[in-house]
Amino acid sequence: MGIFSRKAESTISEAAVLNELRKIQDPDLHKDIVSLNFIKNLEIKGSEVNFDFVLTTPACPARDVMRDDAIRLVGSIPGVSAVNINMQAEVKSQPALSKNSIAGVKNIIAICSGKGGVGKSTVSTNLAAAMARSGAQVGLLDADIYGPTIPIMMGKVGSNIEARGNLLLPIETHGLKFMSMGLMAPGDKPLIWRGPMAHKALQQMLLGVEWGDLDYLFVDLPPGTGDVHLTLVQSISVTGAVLVSTPQDVVLTISMKTYRMFVETKVPILGIVENMSYYICPHCGSKDEIFGHGIVKDAAEKLEIPFLGEIPLDKAIREMSDRGSPVVLAAPESASAKAFEKILGNLAAQISIANFSSQPLQIVEE
Amino acid sequence: MKIDPTKPVELKKQGQEQFKIRWEDGHVSIYPFRYLRQNCGCAGCRSEITGERLLNPETIPEDLKGLKVELVGNYALHFLFSDQHTTGIYPFKVLRQLCPCTECNSI
Repeated sequence: MGIFSRKAESTISEAAVLNELRKIQDPDLHKDIVSLNFIKNLEIKGSEVNFDFVLTTPACPARDVMRDDAIRLVGSIPGVSAVNINMQAEVKSQPALSKNSIAGVKNIIAICSGKGGVGKSTVSTNLAAAMARSGAQVGLLDADIYGPTIPIMMGKVGSNIEARGNLLLPIETHGLKFMSMGLMAPGDKPLIWRGPMAHKALQQMLLGVEWGDLDYLFVDLPPGTGDVHLTLVQSISVTGAVLVSTPQDVVLTISMKTYRMFVETKVPILGIVENMSYYICPHCGSKDEIFGHGIVKDAAEKLEIPFLGEIPLDKAIREMSDRGSPVVLAAPESASAKAFEKILGNLAAQISIANFSSQPLQIVEE
Repeated sequence: MKIDPTKPVELKKQGQEQFKIRWEDGHVSIYPFRYLRQNCGCAGCRSEITGERLLNPETIPEDLKGLKVELVGNYALHFLFSDQHTTGIYPFKVLRQLCPCTECNSI
């Protein structure tokens, strides 16, 4: 022991630890993690430094990098023998505004597209499943009354909806809570609904379902624009919208009408996803950009909206969907699953940015 | 980020007489509820096809009050007036154009 043990016991100050941690910037919020209040419960026990690192979302894409930087920086303080970090997430949202929100639901994310057939529902299902797997409380509402395919993708076709008092109970599956307008019509019966019925049905799905406490509620909208979209943006404050597009869809500017509708109704555009971006040959593995190169990314740059990522045209996605299991859960090592995970990270970051920079609207009475 | 003159930063219901909005560009608008009622844009008060006002503003009583104000999604307000009329949706964009102050109405 002797001199060496005395050196190890020289007190490590909280200020020294925080000064090191201040060197780490959140790459999306552009502020240091100490000013952002990410560091909590800092404890210095002898030569060990322990603290909680609280992120704004469990799906934070910079999570590992920031954690490793924290370990390295704090570890470089003289006398520190161990750095123990408890990574946590606390999803932020705008404070609930009684009638303009769903009690307990922190973020409402609309998934939309210009036209049908671009894979919007596949994207909704996989993003929701991936977000749930990252540790968040997630709900998925299939509001696509014209083509409700999510029950198939979740393996829940023909499920009965139960109620508790006045509220419908969502179905719990694949780690999330799920409800579909498609479950309202049994079997092959088409849902032929005029405006007012679709309006009432969506309001029931939003406000008459026992969603409980959710960090994120993904709402899969019908393609294009219409009654369902109007009802959504008028009934509640939507946190943001994600556009799903194929390269062809953008070229034909069809997705622009949907984009403009959200701009008009002041719903933040969280970004655009390019689906069917390229085909991977199952035999030789080569990548073929059938519909063109970087088309949606270029459009995103022109519109100054975030480009969230690309998803390949992959038979595995369709096969898993047909079997009722999202590819991110059924084949997590596949290229497609990884593409979804990457997009999820970017989306989670955009949601955090939108919440960070927005001022909640409230009516004050004098 | 660009400053948006149609983005409200403060919304205040001042009794049953008037409503105040402070906009992101600093401008403040005060709307008497009677004025808001006279400018209702619902299909009953304003022609859907021509945009012409169908409602005769003189028919709105002098003592018309604003009973309730609610947010409509992220982009509009909704009022319940003392004459029970409640079908109008007032987008912030439209409200800014409707500002009755002298500054906004001088050419």
